[in-house]
Amino acid sequence: MAKLNMPPPHGGELVYRVIEKREYAESMAAGAIEFDLKATTDPNGVPIRHVYREIISVCYGFFSPVEGSMTQNELERVLEERRLENGWVFPYPILLDVSDDDLKALDVKEGDRLLLKLKGQPFAVMDVEEIYKIDPKDVATRTFGTPEKNPEVVRQPFDEKHPGWMIYRCMNPNVIAGKWTIINPPKFREPYDRFWLPPAECRAVIKHVKKWRTCIAHQTRNVPHTGHEMLMKCAAYTGDIEPCHGILVNAIIGAKRKGDYPNEAILEGHEAVNKYGYIKPSRHMVTFTLWDMRYGNPIESLLHGIIRQNMGCTHHMFGRDHAAVGEYYDKYATQILWSEGIPSFGFEAPPNEVDKGLKIIPQNMAEFWYCPVCGEIAYSENCGHVKQKQKFSGSFLRGMVAEGVMPPKVVMRPEVYKAIVKWWKVFGYPFVNNKYLENLNKELEIDLAPMEIPKA
Amino acid sequence: MVHYIGVILDESRLAKIKGTPLEEKIQDLFGGQLKMLVVEVPEEKSQEILKAFDRARIDSRGFIEDLPVAFKRALFEEIAKAKSLDVIDKVLERLPEIQEAAKKESEYIPPPEIE
Ligand SMILES: [Zn+2]
Repeated sequence: MAKLNMPPPHGGELVYRVIEKREYAESMAAGAIEFDLKATTDPNGVPIRHVYREIISVCYGFFSPVEGSMTQNELERVLEERRLENGWVFPYPILLDVSDDDLKALDVKEGDRLLLKLKGQPFAVMDVEEIYKIDPKDVATRTFGTPEKNPEVVRQPFDEKHPGWMIYRCMNPNVIAGKWTIINPPKFREPYDRFWLPPAECRAVIKHVKKWRTCIAHQTRNVPHTGHEMLMKCAAYTGDIEPCHGILVNAIIGAKRKGDYPNEAILEGHEAVNKYGYIKPSRHMVTFTLWDMRYGNPIESLLHGIIRQNMGCTHHMFGRDHAAVGEYYDKYATQILWSEGIPSFGFEAPPNEVDKGLKIIPQNMAEFWYCPVCGEIAYSENCGHVKQKQKFSGSFLRGMVAEGVMPPKVVMRPEVYKAIVKWWKVFGYPFVNNKYLENLNKELEIDLAPMEIPKA
Repeated sequence: MVHYIGVILDESRLAKIKGTPLEEKIQDLFGGQLKMLVVEVPEEKSQEILKAFDRARIDSRGFIEDLPVAFKRALFEEIAKAKSLDVIDKVLERLPEIQEAAKKESEYIPPPEIE
């Protein structure tokens, strides 16, 4: 096997649409029509998505080659064949949606420039390319598929109980399409700032600081237990002539649900894995991407592949039930996509074997459990003690944590548990509760510096 | 179908059942690093429990998880009092009181005393 090297960004070039210099930023925004960005809320008024996270991920190149809110033709092509208009693979609609009232008040037309504001401050600009109507329910259903149209992997029709389907279902019926440019770079709050490593910088760190030739990505939205740790270690044995040099943990940070672990504990819990030597920091690094998780299993795995390829990874590990909730998709949908393709979603072959597809290499992994006979955390394809196996259950662990019992170190590293307790003391609660949600929805992960825009 | 509720035993709980017939029923998990008692819950009673606590669910092992701490605490109290695992009816009699306590813990749980 030939030695591997860092793949190029998806689409060939990293998108970077961020203006740091104040004078240029101000001149870009001067005279633009102002619009305050708002959260997408469910019928109970609970925020389930905020488009600023997509704007940040697009402008810093996580979603390269996407550059902004999609036009109608592009949206159609993404929904029909998971391709952008330029032919590159992309799984999800990326849209700036506005309500009828807001559109009327804005009085905006094609060719106008919008100044998008967040937390009362200028944040980004966009030149309006197109304004069109969508049927949010139709977009939601076509985004995730149906048992009839996608019989390979869709097992149940999507409905109100699926949080990703609800994100599209609850969008406003008007889309403003156009490229985004950030003119007031966000300042991430503690502890997010320590883990903020946008693709261009992440590539440079991998190449010149860590000096990893190969690197495998680990998707997370959880505090790691030793099952996750073993998955990372074992998946990293793949590589080329030697195991992968590095493991890049990339947490998806976005809208939260009650009962989740707080973002802060997730990031610092993963950090504890390298800080305390379970996987040396020279081999393990923790980062995050802003995105309101859509729980689209195989569809989500495409976005994960794109993000981590853009960040400079050669490989990506995919487990069972990847980015899944409920039983809408086959348990192995992601692994089916990356091993054979899913024709009904536009993949006659795996996404890394199609034209204008991804260059990142999948590593499909089965399960890990504790085996008292083997006396170790065992890989399901090795361990034959099926009767004695003790599965890791996230909810069992959560129960232990809530009861104030320190999980045994064979299940969770004590330093990872201490990261949970550290933030428990800050929030008065080990998991996301109403107060945490209220605060996150108000403060977001970022602050924006005050900025005066000269009148045109 | 029978479901299960696992009651984790830390040092203080182990001390409270020392010398009782319950000791024989303790199950070892993760190579003995975790001790647990497993209470069997018949179908109709597990339905009652799921109805009483909206976050509770049955996981892939057939265990009822995401129960309020107040429920788990009451369950252990009844086990220790009766020196038996056959206490689910006793716990269900205390449902209103447990639900009241559970309401409070949906917003605040005191953090453990570790450095
Ligand atoms: Zn075994």
